[in-house]
Amino acid sequence: MRQESIDEAVTVRADFQGGVVTPLAFRIRGREVRVSRVNARWVDRVPRHPHYYFSVTADSGDVYQLQLQAADMVWWLDAVTLEG
Amino acid sequence: MMRRVVSGADVAGMLGPAGATRRDAAPRRIDSSGGSPPGAGVTPPAPQHGAAPDNAADAVGSRVHDGDARGWGSCKAEGAAHPESWPSGHVEDGVAPDNAADAPPSRAAILHVDIDAFFASIEQQRNPKLRGRPVIVGAGVIASCSYEARRFGLRAGMALSEARRLCPQAVIVDGHAQVYRCFAEAIFERCRDFSPAVETYLDEAYCDLTGTERLHGDLRDAAQRLKAAIRDATGLTVTCGLGPNRMLAKLAGKTVKPDGLARVTAGEADAFVRDRPVEQLAGVGHAHARTLRSMNIRTAGDLRALPVEALVRLFGTPGRMLHERCRGRDTAVVHAREIPVTVSRETSFHRDTADRAGIEGMLEYLAGRACRTARELGVRPRTVAVRLRYSDGEGAERARTLPQPTDCDPVVLAAALDTLARLFTRRVALHGVGLTLANFVAAGAEQGALFDEREAGRRAALYRAFDGVREHFGHGVLVSGRALHLKGRLDENEHGFVLRTPSLTK
Repeated sequence: MRQESIDEAVTVRADFQGGVVTPLAFRIRGREVRVSRVNARWVDRVPRHPHYYFSVTADSGDVYQLQLQAADMVWWLDAVTLEG
Repeated sequence: MMRRVVSGADVAGMLGPAGATRRDAAPRRIDSSGGSPPGAGVTPPAPQHGAAPDNAADAVGSRVHDGDARGWGSCKAEGAAHPESWPSGHVEDGVAPDNAADAPPSRAAILHVDIDAFFASIEQQRNPKLRGRPVIVGAGVIASCSYEARRFGLRAGMALSEARRLCPQAVIVDGHAQVYRCFAEAIFERCRDFSPAVETYLDEAYCDLTGTERLHGDLRDAAQRLKAAIRDATGLTVTCGLGPNRMLAKLAGKTVKPDGLARVTAGEADAFVRDRPVEQLAGVGHAHARTLRSMNIRTAGDLRALPVEALVRLFGTPGRMLHERCRGRDTAVVHAREIPVTVSRETSFHRDTADRAGIEGMLEYLAGRACRTARELGVRPRTVAVRLRYSDGEGAERARTLPQPTDCDPVVLAAALDTLARLFTRRVALHGVGLTLANFVAAGAEQGALFDEREAGRRAALYRAFDGVREHFGHGVLVSGRALHLKGRLDENEHGFVLRTPSLTK
C-alpha cells in the first residue's frame, strides 16, 4: 500500500453546517468524485492560517487526502492511496 | 583509593537469607483468565479490538470490569481496596518496612493519558483498508505497530526485516510526522479542557487533576468523559491511569492497555507496585533491567530488598530514585512546559556512507532544519548533540555546551561539526546521523553580548528572512555551505532534498 502525491488544486462541494466542514464531492480532470465517507479529519495550526485535512473514501473505494487552506479557502487534493 | 565495583553476587550477599530464599521462591500470580485477585471479586474484561496486552505483565490480573460496555476496567474495585487483596509477589511483607502505605495519604491526583499504538492507529483511521490488519509504521525499524501486529510479537524498535519474517502479511507504511503532531495536539487540547496543568510528550500526557474534584466530581468519571471526548474528536482510543503520583498513574494505565482506565489510590500503591516488573519502573531501561535480572530481581518488590547504597553503587545517582520508585514514591510534579525539552532532526542515508563531505553536508542540512524549528518556537539551545548510527548497528552520541544559547545556524553547525570530528572515529560506514538541540532558554531571556550586538542583530534578521523564504517555497529552496554537497547526490522535489526520513523531506 502506498500513497501517491497529487498536489493539485481542486473544486470541492462541501457542507459547512454547524461550523464543521465536510467534503461531499470533488472534481479532478473533469471527473466528479463523490465522497462516500470521511475517514479522518485533522487540523494543522502551525501555519499562520490553519490547514484542514480530510481523509475520504470515494464511491469507487479509493482513499484520497484533501486539504482546505483557511487563508484563501482553496482546496487541494494532496494524495491518493493505492494498493500494492 | 580503589573503587569497589558491586557485582550481582555482592548484592545477593547484601540481600541476606531472605534474598537467597527469594531466588527460589515461585511468584504467586493471579491469571487474568483463570480468576480475579482475592478481594476484588470481579472478572477482568477482554482487551479491546482483540488485542494482546503490551507485555506479559499486563496479563497478570488486576483488571476489573466496571460494567461499562466499552470495557474500561479498573485496577481495583472502588471501595474494596486493601493492599493485601493485591496479588503478592516475591517479597514477603516486612522486607520493606518503609513502604508507600506508611506515608500519609496523598491528595494529589495525576491522570496519565497514553495514546494506543499512536502512529499505527492514525494510519488505520486515515485508511479504512488498514483497519483490523497488522500495520507497521517505520523505515528500517518499527516506529509503531498496531495491536494486530503485536499479536505476532512485533514491537517498536524491531528491525523491519525481522518484522517481515514474523508477520509477512503486515502492511508497512511510511510515517507522517506532521499528521501525528496534529492528532496529538487535538488530544492534548481535550486534556487541557480537563486539567489546568498538562505535560505533553509525543504520544502521552500527564494531567494534574489535584483539587479538581469539585469541578469534575468523581475523577474516574472525569477520565471516562475525557476518553469519550478524545474518541469523538479523533477516533483514537487512549489508555488512562489515575494515581496519586505520575509513576503510579502511568503504571496503572499499563495494566489495562489498550483503551482502558485504571485507578490506583494511595492506600493501594504499595501492594500495586510490589508486583510490577522492574522494567516498568521509570528509569529502568534495557541495561538496568539486564543487570537486575542477572541478580534475579524481577519485580519492584524484589528491588526493595536492596539498600539505597547498593542501588547507588550499581546505577549511580539514579539508584536513589529507583529506591523511591520501587516503593511507589514519585515526587516529580506535572510541568505544563512552555519550552520543549529537545528538538531533534535525524535521518538515515540512502546508502551507508563514510564520505565525510556527504556526512557533514547532511549534518549542515539537519542543523538548518533544527535551528529553524528553534526559531519558530522562540527558543535557543545551550546544548548541541550529534548522534551517529554505524552500519554495524553500533551507535555513538556526544553533546557539547555552547558558550551562549543561540539559534543561529553557523554557530550550532560549528559545534556540531567539531563534535562530529571527535565522535566519528571508527572505520565503519554510517547508517544515519542526527542532531539534537537541548537545554533551551526562551529567545531574548539570555544575557546579551556586549560588543557584537549589532552583528548578532544582523544575523538574526538574515535568518528571519531565510525562514520567510523557506516558509513559502520549502526548506530546500535555500541551500548553503556543505549542504551543497548533497546536490546531485540526493533526489530533489519542490520542497528540496528527498531524505530517507519522509517527515524531513517536506
